[in-house]
Amino acid sequence: MSLPAMTLTTVNNLVKQLPIPTALLDADFKLVHASHSWLEHFDCTKGQYFGKCISQLPQFIESQVLAQLKFCMEGTPQKLLFDTQTSNTQYKNYQFTCTPLYNENENIIGIILQAEDISHYLENEVRFEKLENLLKDQSEMSKVGTWEYHIATQELSWSKMTKKIHDVPENYQPNVDTAIDFYTCGHERNTIAMFFHNGMTKGQSWTTKSKMKTAKGKEKWVISSGKPIIRDNKIIRLVGTFQDITEQEKAEQQIREREQILHTLIDNIPLNIYIKDLNLKKILVNKAECDFLGVPNAQELLGKSDDDFFDKEMATKLRDEDLEVIFSEKPIFSQERILPNKTGKEIPMLVSKIPLKNLGGQIYALLGIGMDISSLKEKENQLRKLINVTSEQNKKLINFAHIVSHNLRSHTANFSMLLEFLMQEKDDTEKEQLVTMLSQAAQNLMETLENLNIVVDINANTDMEQEHLDLSKKIQQSVRVLDAYLKQKRAKIITNIPPGTTIKAAPAYLDNIILNILKNAMIYSHPDRPPVITLNAKKEGGTTVLSIQDNGLGIDLDKYGKKLFGMYKTFHNNKDSRGIGLFIVKTQVEAMGGTIDAQSQVGVGSTFNIRLHD
Amino acid sequence: MININTIYIVDDDAITTFGIKKLIHKSIRCETVMEFENGEQAMRRIKENLSKGGPIPDLIFLDINMPIMDGWQFLDEFQKITFDKKIVINIITSSIDQADVDTWESYKKKIPHYLNYSIKPIFSIDFKELLAANMAN
Repeated sequence: MSLPAMTLTTVNNLVKQLPIPTALLDADFKLVHASHSWLEHFDCTKGQYFGKCISQLPQFIESQVLAQLKFCMEGTPQKLLFDTQTSNTQYKNYQFTCTPLYNENENIIGIILQAEDISHYLENEVRFEKLENLLKDQSEMSKVGTWEYHIATQELSWSKMTKKIHDVPENYQPNVDTAIDFYTCGHERNTIAMFFHNGMTKGQSWTTKSKMKTAKGKEKWVISSGKPIIRDNKIIRLVGTFQDITEQEKAEQQIREREQILHTLIDNIPLNIYIKDLNLKKILVNKAECDFLGVPNAQELLGKSDDDFFDKEMATKLRDEDLEVIFSEKPIFSQERILPNKTGKEIPMLVSKIPLKNLGGQIYALLGIGMDISSLKEKENQLRKLINVTSEQNKKLINFAHIVSHNLRSHTANFSMLLEFLMQEKDDTEKEQLVTMLSQAAQNLMETLENLNIVVDINANTDMEQEHLDLSKKIQQSVRVLDAYLKQKRAKIITNIPPGTTIKAAPAYLDNIILNILKNAMIYSHPDRPPVITLNAKKEGGTTVLSIQDNGLGIDLDKYGKKLFGMYKTFHNNKDSRGIGLFIVKTQVEAMGGTIDAQSQVGVGSTFNIRLHD
Repeated sequence: MININTIYIVDDDAITTFGIKKLIHKSIRCETVMEFENGEQAMRRIKENLSKGGPIPDLIFLDINMPIMDGWQFLDEFQKITFDKKIVINIITSSIDQADVDTWESYKKKIPHYLNYSIKPIFSIDFKELLAANMAN
């Protein structure tokens, strides 16, 4: 190929248009020709640089280039790397190819300088290196190795990490059989063999977690994955990763075990435990809470709020308390609350509510703990009852001791007095009277002792057998006993007891109580009118109240109420005495666990109310 | 011999009442000795007599432990009635309870009559001293 002889202008034009930045230097390295692209690359478009040494160009640093240009002038082509900062402060890397320019006489007359911007190559190279390092680091850190299998050659290769995971030396040469043998015998090994086979034959990818035993006999958990490489519709290779997840697996197992412990703990602890999110929906509940609310499992409670299980009033109360804890960030501990359970029964509970904070100190949930204290409460009530019974008994005992000392002392004083009189007395008639009085005193003492004995008996037999008695029948019996007395007094008895009304009492006590009160009504009847006695009964919360109303004299209870059921000395020959009757009635009623009280109006009449279990 | 117009015995114990009566008749001359089983009966009589211009007792023997209205309640009521006469009230009780002694002391201060306290058994009554003490008061 021969080119037409070129003029200098032609050469100049040619060089100017070269796409690759090119410059021609003379033997003194002065710029003779340069392509536009050169001038642009090296900021030489403004100003005159032709005829000047290249080292004087804006971007050039003498030391970097001159030595190599000199070698080039001696006939050795040079390549040199060159970096520079362009006007827009961008770093650029160039590779210069310096070629000697020969004249027709084979003498070197200059240098052809071609520049290639290799910045992006270098960048890629750096990035590649970085990526490689990164991959290596990652592989090290996450213990991910790789493997590759060539189907044609049946060659299996493992990366360094894969070998390390298998505890085999770096020069170890695996094959498919030995590789699969590392997996635990049985299911694990079969699974991996099947995956491998399906990968080869059907082109299926896989990822699976399995247990393996390393060459050193260590058990490890690994995730192995594989995928086929297909070329021209043919599976030519399988490649994949191999990751040691033993530590994660151990950690996970530990977490699972801890979770299990925690779950076992909260499910078996006899406390209701729940966690509510900030919308007050339950996000965790234990078995006790499920049982309390009557649901078979936690799923029935999760995502639900108190509105779903309590009536509106209770739900509002609970919500207000929850919100108070959340907003104030102040927990409440062991507060006594009454909550209805699944059957609607009100259960006394000790409730704690604790705001749960995340690591940033923000509240994200509410922990609730409830303790059923009904059995405690029941015991407390029993204890209280027992204390009441005991203190009541104690009071009775003191009262009784007082009565005994008072009454007995009174009789002894009388004996003493009468005996003294008797000794002093000279007159026989008087003496005789004193002896009569003494026998009277003896009889009084005997009677008092008998009465006291009755009271002791009643108090000693508080657990005596009680029966459900037909109240109307019992009243009829008492009326029959008093028949003659009632007729004599022209008394009228009105019985308004509904048939079948029962009362729980000791039969003998009930007889005595009714008789005594009826007799009392006769004794204290009003002189201006015949006695009318009305008997009523009503049920009141597990008790039967028997009311016996008369139209007698009545008594000012404000003044004498306290004395009505007291025990006093009796006038033996005087029917007109309350004496010990009502005292014994009260003792009997209380011995059966009941109460007795009276209402009265002077001149109108009295009503006695006896309250006993029905 | 000492002469006393009216004496009330307020006691629910017949034997004590008998004893007091015996001692009265043995020691003094008294026109009217009246017996009451409890404070209420005695009180009713006093009020009746006051309205009718009947005799007010000069001396009252008063038991404490009685049904309906006891001795202390009687004193509460008695205190409310105003008349010029200073009366001797002799409490007679079988109680050896210090609480009763203390109550007597407190009534002694607030009652405008002479209040004496005797514990049974009673073998004798020194009427002279009783009346003298009332005069001195």
